[in-house]
Amino acid sequence: MVQQLAMVIDAAKCIDCKGCVAACKVANNVPEGQFRNWIKHAEFQVVPGISDNKARFQPGACMHCEKPTCVDACPTGATYKDMDTGEVVIDESLCIGCGNCIPACPYDARYRNEVTRKADKCNYCPERRAAGLSPACVDTCPTKARVFGDINDPTSAAGALYVKNRERLTRVSAQTDTLPNMYYLGDPGPGHWGGKAVVPASMVAMKESAPFIKGIVALSGLGVLAMLGRQLFAGSEHKEDTDA
Amino acid sequence: MPDSKQTMSRRDFFRASGLVAAGAVGGPALLGGLTKARAASPAKPAWVSRFSACDICFNKCGLIARVEDGVITKLDPNPKFLKSRGMLCARGNAGLAQVYDPDRLKHPLLRKGARGEGKWQRIPWDEALDMAAQKMAEVREKYTPCGHLFTAGSDLQSQFVGRFAEVYGSFNMTSHESLCLVSGSRAFLDTFGEVPFADVLNSKYIMMVGANRFEALVTPDSIDLMTAIRENGCKLVTLDPRYTKTAALSHEWYPVRPGTDMAFMLALAHVIINEKLYDPQWVAEKTFGIEQLTAHVQRYTPGFASEQCGIPAEDIARMARELAEAAPASMIYPGRRTSDYEDSTQIRRSFAIVNGLLGNWDKPGGLLAARQVGLKGVPYDAPWYDENQEDRIDAGKVPMMFEHEGSFVVTRDSVLADDPYPIRGWFIYKTNPMGTAPNRKKTIEMMNKMDFVTVVDIAMSDTAWMADLVLPSQSYLEREDPCSGLQGSVACACVVKRDPVVEPLFESRPLFGIMKDIANRMELGEHFDFTMDEYRRQQTREIPEALGVMDRDGVYYNPSKVYGIYDGRIYKTLSKKVELYNQRYEQMGLDPLPNYTPPASPPENRFRMVIGRNAMITQSSTANNALLHQFLPTNTLWLNPEAAGRLGVNDGDLVEVTSPVGRQELKAEVTDRIRPDTVFMLSGFNTLSTMQQLSHNNGASINELLDDDYDAITGNASMHTTFVSVTRKVA
Repeated sequence: MVQQLAMVIDAAKCIDCKGCVAACKVANNVPEGQFRNWIKHAEFQVVPGISDNKARFQPGACMHCEKPTCVDACPTGATYKDMDTGEVVIDESLCIGCGNCIPACPYDARYRNEVTRKADKCNYCPERRAAGLSPACVDTCPTKARVFGDINDPTSAAGALYVKNRERLTRVSAQTDTLPNMYYLGDPGPGHWGGKAVVPASMVAMKESAPFIKGIVALSGLGVLAMLGRQLFAGSEHKEDTDA
Repeated sequence: MPDSKQTMSRRDFFRASGLVAAGAVGGPALLGGLTKARAASPAKPAWVSRFSACDICFNKCGLIARVEDGVITKLDPNPKFLKSRGMLCARGNAGLAQVYDPDRLKHPLLRKGARGEGKWQRIPWDEALDMAAQKMAEVREKYTPCGHLFTAGSDLQSQFVGRFAEVYGSFNMTSHESLCLVSGSRAFLDTFGEVPFADVLNSKYIMMVGANRFEALVTPDSIDLMTAIRENGCKLVTLDPRYTKTAALSHEWYPVRPGTDMAFMLALAHVIINEKLYDPQWVAEKTFGIEQLTAHVQRYTPGFASEQCGIPAEDIARMARELAEAAPASMIYPGRRTSDYEDSTQIRRSFAIVNGLLGNWDKPGGLLAARQVGLKGVPYDAPWYDENQEDRIDAGKVPMMFEHEGSFVVTRDSVLADDPYPIRGWFIYKTNPMGTAPNRKKTIEMMNKMDFVTVVDIAMSDTAWMADLVLPSQSYLEREDPCSGLQGSVACACVVKRDPVVEPLFESRPLFGIMKDIANRMELGEHFDFTMDEYRRQQTREIPEALGVMDRDGVYYNPSKVYGIYDGRIYKTLSKKVELYNQRYEQMGLDPLPNYTPPASPPENRFRMVIGRNAMITQSSTANNALLHQFLPTNTLWLNPEAAGRLGVNDGDLVEVTSPVGRQELKAEVTDRIRPDTVFMLSGFNTLSTMQQLSHNNGASINELLDDDYDAITGNASMHTTFVSVTRKVA
């Protein structure tokens, strides 16, 4: 079975210490004033006496959705869903920084990195995982509210939690349901904060007519490749033209 | 509109298809190979990993520094570190920003202008050390050894300041503790014979009063508290004039009237005793003074307490019964900072007494004795100085100070009055009384009284700003530190040490080396004639395997006894039992049982100011941290909407806060998370030092506003006794 890397979060365990946010910022060189992850606050009902026992804080980040609207909004294919791991990935070399994907995320998980000028978001810290470590936010979390792993693998930390609690797991309900892969144990905390995905109409149209368009694009791409081939094999005077 | 929309779409479409085609030029997308190429795992980071222990607060959580090309790129928790339950909080992560703070001190600086004017001259180390030694010698010559004061923060190297002070001959040594916890320690020490550690993890009922454990993090308590309430079925009840994050996560919260905790506690005792809810065998065998306590608490009915603290009487009675029902796995959480009122020792005695009635001492879910760590002290013989003063300058001014902590506030008053003798030299290491002691103007006066002040720190704190000589010390990740034994409650008893994870920056030097160099210049060198390695071997002489284990795991655990330490042992009190009634207090003319005095109510249009923490701040040492600054860019004045409405203050308005000792301006945060009669602000902001770029001229300084009352028994500062007025600042 393919993987689905995900987080299973017990929002009720979150003490809003910002450890996860600080760890993420350092691990990923997130520019000043920008954030890849967050802890949202519920509307506190400040009532003395016995608590309503609702979750107060909600840790979150990119939810690596099943139906990622950001992928639909990306014109270059830089953002895509990795079919092997289930991650939503940004290939920086393909990202043109157009910003289409930013409003396309109903959870506000994306931003344009001020330094790289490219789209940026949580990527589950691939370098750390290559070193055998958890993502920085998960590793540092004092109360271990954030649990990470492959939910299709019941032996992973997240998978075990996922299997054990399947019937009471919740997801953030956004106006656009993207089937997020961030699961909350019980109360996910502040409800209905998920917004609406704003995907450029052209991109939606393109998605719907994808096979047709891809065909055309492929053909035009092949055409361009052929042109490139011709250029490469042509004389140097053409190159000068290109450089100019 | 439809037109422009159409245009957009068309442009988007062309841009999109064009780019995909462009992508195809450079890549194998159409050849089907891309997915695999993208999914290939990235290279492992090229870092080396080195153990250390955090130093952004006192907890010393175990960490692993990831170092690339001699630069720390990330601080991670040490997963084997049980005391912190393998975590590193936001501040721990921000240690990086402390080490690489552009405001770090780079070389020795000598004051050139007037004190506090901020004019400095860079001088070489040799000159700086010669000068420090010469000035210390002059002060000793002129005013006796006790004419020099030594102050050190909670740091693994602070013991060398203490050692230096003693061999120099001064009894005058203060620390941060008398601005923090000495009255709470006193109260539990004078009840149980030692200061306990709370077995939060196994407790079934925790009363959190005068503490905020989900924001003022203490390891392992803060983490264990969440495990206890979320996984172990523990009930958490919080009393706090603020709706803190701890309050928000508690099963019950009551906005207690500030200063009335004792009435609440004595009412709990009233119910537990009168309804005979305690274990009679425990009370008979292990405690002293139940008869006196029984008589004493009769007047403290839940009804009386309710009138005082504002919590319904039936709830107080219910909580007493619930606590007793869960006993001995229930507790009044002892708390840490107790520098709140002028009777703070007696207030915390009432906490300790209820714990005594619950019979939770030395038992799972209760209060635990210190565990054996195995670390030993390194003894030395301090020389005798015939011409010296007889005692500390603050001696005898309050009855029960801690010998090596003293009282900063009482010491300061004594210095200002030359009472009973003059102090004219001050050496300060890594603590910042200018930023942490109440009534900053008095600390400035104290500075002005000095002939020479030497400060060793990593940054130009306000205390350094007022000094004559400022010496740059190494950060915790650049130096070798002695071993330190840590009590981790039920989690562990352990030892940590620090070795450099990177080369020291600039001209910074470790305090140990500085003390050694000054000692050598004063013919005191023999007392510092050892290396750090030799010192650590002395410390670990009874656990010789510890050093190697620490190199391997970053921590050494002593698998010592957790519960039942007192089986067959006597308590270190006069009666050799848990003293509900304190006999020594009686002998000294102090209240042997805590007598409740109702706190003064704030006069009309004034508010009681309370202080506190959140998880992004450590007193005055983090407001200039560039990473933490992003979470906490400034401090605000918490003001209840009812009070704000009366004052015509809106959320975000600039307000002027005036106390009997000072005046500050900051933005109001209008919130129902605080009582209408109380205001709150965080510490560390509005530094005088311009070399703290993020905190200078930003927000308000709380210690400029706080009056300098103190606890009558220990001299611990009382920082909840100041009334302030608040007015909207008209631009």
